[in-house]
Amino acid sequence: MKYSAGVSWLLCMTSFSVASAEPMPNLDLESLMATDVQATSAMKRAQSAFSTAASLYVLGKEDIHASGAISVAEALKLVPGLEVRQLDNNQWAITARGVAGRYTSKLLVMVDGQSVYNPSFAGVYWETLDVPLYDIERIEVIRGQGGLLWGSNATNGVINIITKNSLDTRETLLKVSSGDQLNYDIGLRHGGNIGSNGSYRIFGSVRDSDAAKTGKSLPANDDAKQQSIGARFDFAPNDDLSILTQFSYTHTDMGQNLKALSLATNQNTLYADRFERDDGRIMARAEHRLSGSSNQMLQASWAIQDGKQLYLDERFQSVDVDYQMNSLWGATQLDWGLNYRNSYLPFEENYIIRSDADIDRLEQYGAFLQLQFALIPEQLNVSFGNKSEHNSFTGWEHQPVARITWQPNNEHVLWSAISQGVRIPSLAEFDYDTGINGTRVGEYFQTGIDAIDNYHVHTVLNGNQQVEPEKSLSYELGYRFSKQDWSFDLALFHTQSKDVFAVQPNPDSANLDQIAALLAQGKIVEAQQALQNTVLEFDVASNADLNVKGGEALVAWRPSVNFRAELGYSQMSYRYRLKENTQPAIGYDSDSKQFFAKTGWHPFKKHSFFALFRSINSDAYSVDDYDALDLSWAWQLMPHSSLSLTGKNLLAGSHLEYDNTSETFTVPNYIEQSVVLRLMAEF
Amino acid sequence: MLAIKRFVTSLIMLALAVAAGETGAADKEAALKAGFMFNFARYSEWQGLAKPLGYFKLCSPDIEFVDTASWVLHKQRIHELEIRVSLVELDSLSINQCNLLFVPTAYRKNWLTVDRTLLSHTMLVGEAPDFIHQGGHIRFFLLAGKIRFEVAPEELKKADITMSSKVLRLSRVVKEEQ
Repeated sequence: MKYSAGVSWLLCMTSFSVASAEPMPNLDLESLMATDVQATSAMKRAQSAFSTAASLYVLGKEDIHASGAISVAEALKLVPGLEVRQLDNNQWAITARGVAGRYTSKLLVMVDGQSVYNPSFAGVYWETLDVPLYDIERIEVIRGQGGLLWGSNATNGVINIITKNSLDTRETLLKVSSGDQLNYDIGLRHGGNIGSNGSYRIFGSVRDSDAAKTGKSLPANDDAKQQSIGARFDFAPNDDLSILTQFSYTHTDMGQNLKALSLATNQNTLYADRFERDDGRIMARAEHRLSGSSNQMLQASWAIQDGKQLYLDERFQSVDVDYQMNSLWGATQLDWGLNYRNSYLPFEENYIIRSDADIDRLEQYGAFLQLQFALIPEQLNVSFGNKSEHNSFTGWEHQPVARITWQPNNEHVLWSAISQGVRIPSLAEFDYDTGINGTRVGEYFQTGIDAIDNYHVHTVLNGNQQVEPEKSLSYELGYRFSKQDWSFDLALFHTQSKDVFAVQPNPDSANLDQIAALLAQGKIVEAQQALQNTVLEFDVASNADLNVKGGEALVAWRPSVNFRAELGYSQMSYRYRLKENTQPAIGYDSDSKQFFAKTGWHPFKKHSFFALFRSINSDAYSVDDYDALDLSWAWQLMPHSSLSLTGKNLLAGSHLEYDNTSETFTVPNYIEQSVVLRLMAEF
Repeated sequence: MLAIKRFVTSLIMLALAVAAGETGAADKEAALKAGFMFNFARYSEWQGLAKPLGYFKLCSPDIEFVDTASWVLHKQRIHELEIRVSLVELDSLSINQCNLLFVPTAYRKNWLTVDRTLLSHTMLVGEAPDFIHQGGHIRFFLLAGKIRFEVAPEELKKADITMSSKVLRLSRVVKEEQ
């Protein structure tokens, strides 16, 4: 057996479902080109997805294309069990097995293995992540811990967006989309050969969209203008070595409604604002097959995310270097790797945010080791390993994992895993002092004097350099069943986290007793002056426990190449255990359920239909439950040209998907029905 | 701590002692290659295909591939002809009747000794890195986890075989001087 040069994080699965044994291949040439020799990813090496001991879902390009999605974030709605909440036309909160926040989702997101996680706020700027959807090979989603292989901050899951090898995009492609909210979205890609061993593609896109019709707190202000360019080059000088280099740059100019502190009132005030952000990434990867049983990989990357918005002038750069080696002795696999990440986060103080220690750099380095072998050949497999990583905030952190799979035959797999994940504090939690909505004096004591009772004391959330990293212990149990044309995938999980990020008042910060004494003495003016000089502080603490449990079930049916369907159900309970006088920072006690149905139907040679239905039932986001239906019809005009029409949110109408108002800046908006017409041609 | 070390050491020793093949993945790779060869044949024109046997003969010296390809290509037809997958020995005269011959890497040395005059109208598919330079027409390689192939159309033409541009556009084209 030969391994692909990409040992790797290259998963597989053709398209629709993760769970599949080895059916008769579809002999259509395009299907053969799209099929991986092997599957995997959760194990960071080639391995069958069916027998992987992790909750793994692979979203294939077939679904991404058929859905009519125009962004990566929107395409993630196609993944069952994922929490995907749209804040407005541009902004998103996405996670798995937890409550999604705009800025905190404990989810590690990568493009071809390059992280787009921003350690300033522990999240992802989804709206500036512009990967051409037609060049995506697949999106691998791991629900649950991914810390062993991918590092810290993958507590809730990992999303790895895999783009196509440029050998498979050696033609010109034009995509033009327009709709009632989308003025235009034009993408152009051209690819070709470089000599006899290389290939390339270059691409560019422009997008312009209108704001929604209805706003919630302010008139909607979520229009967008975005321009992207990029290129990818692949070289394979011989069968043992492949080299990938790519870069991309995106400029984003979007409207947003936000709330921020007013200097005059110390209260959150709504603003209609614009933000601009530049997102650039360069990466290079060499994969080298040392022998039939040993591979190595070296990857280096650089990323920049600079942005400007009200009160914030963000600058962020990171450099990553990863080395990995995979070896095989019979059925025993040994994987190990080293990583180094240096993030540069220069800071300028402003009215909203100050820094205690002027920390402008986060350095992380570490190593992982994973061993996988068969206790009973071809039936009972065990893997265990550990990743130890040092970060300049909290020092050394360890993320061990043990996994076991029992596969009595080709149709059944039972798996289980125990793992510990770590989320290190973001820079905001560790160092920043952030002005938040002022505390009204009347909440502490009533004087009967409106000017005092209604006065809002300047209130600050203090970052805490003594904060502990959040440690999550996860127990997972899964079962997969696969027949020729249908499959079943079940995963149950229970995650217990300690040292969880919470907020607690600092009683020594404000001299309210002194002010009360002044009031008791009738010294109103002095009391008012004292109030204006008072700062009430809340501290970031890491003293909460969090208990999350639930499960995901998925049935996939593909009776023919012309029809496929998936039915999914997921459920989660989210429970804090807080110390006295503290409050949760990310979400609050809640229960969530999601019913999911997806189908692709190709009834006629030139016509196909696609439907996605999601019934969302949750009290985690302070919004009503909603049912959302997206429908697409595609017409194959010519062998390489198609016209498609997509209707989005057809049942939900104008609805809110997110209204957690505790996050700084975040102001949600109504999500509306929309229609998109798309023409795509390859020549 | 000592107990943990002993446990880990035991597991590692146990792991190293276990050796088993990876038949599943290998079968999949062979099945996919058989599917590709079906398409190579389907989208090519043989000047003299009708001449020999009345069926399309796909040959290989590898018994495991022959078994897999027989399963994958069961009841498939090429240019109205039934496909028969046959086990052949590379040093035998029987290769003369093959319409398509697949030579796995393990048979590279045997391939170098084959009498090429027996294969004048045969599509030659292999996977060894130098297969095309050694007189082959099409070579499989693995790239980013997928099977890809390179084709020498001029060499195919010398065997009176013309391949459709539908397939050539997906391949890496190897020119004669290379």
